[in-house]
Amino acid sequence: MIEAFNVTKEYRTEGRLHRAVSDVSFSVARGEKLAVLGRNGAGKSTLIRLLGRVELPTSGTIEQTMSVSWPLALQGGFQGSLTGNDNMRFIARIYNKPFDEIKAYVEDFAELGKYLSEPVKIYSIGMRARFAFALSLAIDFDCYLIDEVIAAGDQRFQRRSHEELFEKRADRTLILASHMGEVIKSYCSRALVMHHGRGNLFDDIDLALQVYNDI
Amino acid sequence: MGDFRKNLATQWRVVGALLIREIYTRFGREGLGFGWILLEPLIFAIPVLLVWSVVRAPYEHGVALMPFLWSGYLPLLLFRHIGARMLLFVRVNAGLLYHRQVTIFDIFLARCLLEVASNLAAVVASFALFYALGWVDLPRDLPMFYLGYFYMIWWAAAVGLIIGGLSERSDWVEKIWQPYSYLYIFFSGFFVMAAWLPEHLRGWALFQPSLQAYEMIRAGMFGNAVKTYGDPAYTSLVLAVLTYLGLLLMRESRKYVVAE
Repeated sequence: MIEAFNVTKEYRTEGRLHRAVSDVSFSVARGEKLAVLGRNGAGKSTLIRLLGRVELPTSGTIEQTMSVSWPLALQGGFQGSLTGNDNMRFIARIYNKPFDEIKAYVEDFAELGKYLSEPVKIYSIGMRARFAFALSLAIDFDCYLIDEVIAAGDQRFQRRSHEELFEKRADRTLILASHMGEVIKSYCSRALVMHHGRGNLFDDIDLALQVYNDI
Repeated sequence: MGDFRKNLATQWRVVGALLIREIYTRFGREGLGFGWILLEPLIFAIPVLLVWSVVRAPYEHGVALMPFLWSGYLPLLLFRHIGARMLLFVRVNAGLLYHRQVTIFDIFLARCLLEVASNLAAVVASFALFYALGWVDLPRDLPMFYLGYFYMIWWAAAVGLIIGGLSERSDWVEKIWQPYSYLYIFFSGFFVMAAWLPEHLRGWALFQPSLQAYEMIRAGMFGNAVKTYGDPAYTSLVLAVLTYLGLLLMRESRKYVVAE
């Protein structure tokens, strides 16, 4: 269970207060798949970072009773100047998992070959997406926070990530910020539509997509 | 109790992982790599000490110059390095906070430990070198020397916490730190002993924790040959208060972390 109560996040930019997430409340039960919809700048990524406790809300609380992944996005979660292998070693250490296990999984899933011994900063966007995705799947969380990242990969990656995430891990909780209407329609049961930092919860995905398209 | 031990184990694992990562990102994995930890402070300290030993009289106030400089300069270096490493360290490391078991205190600890380890390695290596050359003797009162150095480390870490926390709030801190870390040479007590100061200044000067620590280091270096004024109880109290303040500032800055 993840419960967000009146979560607000403000940033101070150029002396002005900007409210990126405004008084958002919702709860996600174990195994549920929640879509987060909204245009660029609506507050989706901020909300996902708050759920991952990368940043702390200005006010409101977020309670969790399961293990939640770090936000899977194109950046964050790894160090660009370190090689793929060194990033894996670091993750293995802090999550207390055997390095060999993680390496085997990432090698198989991300198909990065010799690039794993190169610094992550030279990876293309698609490679980064595969690497980030593989790493977090290797750790095995109850709930995955996904910020767009699937869309960044090629067809093969998209197919494989669907297989790993929606089929093999069908029992997991997902919070998925995405513009991919088809994916959302086929897997998510509810949607949070965000606009100017505010969130509206819909139990009807078609309605949610319609509202999102009308914004 | 079980929970506490488990948390402690997690924290050490995380700090250890951060330490290794810090070594890789700072020193690289090729060439000397890890060896730079020792060499970095040495290539700075040895030329400075040698130049000073040439331009200054071999004895001042009856104290041998080289041991005086050696025992004074390395703590100074530690203070500067820790300070510099803590400027904006929360912002710079925001990416690590993607992993929720990593706290900013862990990052602080890892950075601090690396600086301290590197400094202590330089202390040992430069001592061995100067001892072999006959320029320094073993400290007369070794436990007192260690105690003084311990307070130096604590002082540097406490200031590091405060500088780290404040630099997240105001750009001024970073700008002021640069000149101050040089001016610190004069405030730190590096060049003076409390006994050399006129009495009306001595009381004031001894409020400064680093002078306190220097007094203890010198009591350790020169034993009864010098009169010193170090007060461990006072120093502990001041440093505890500064550390607490620093921790509060750091906790506050966590709220304002903006991840990449």
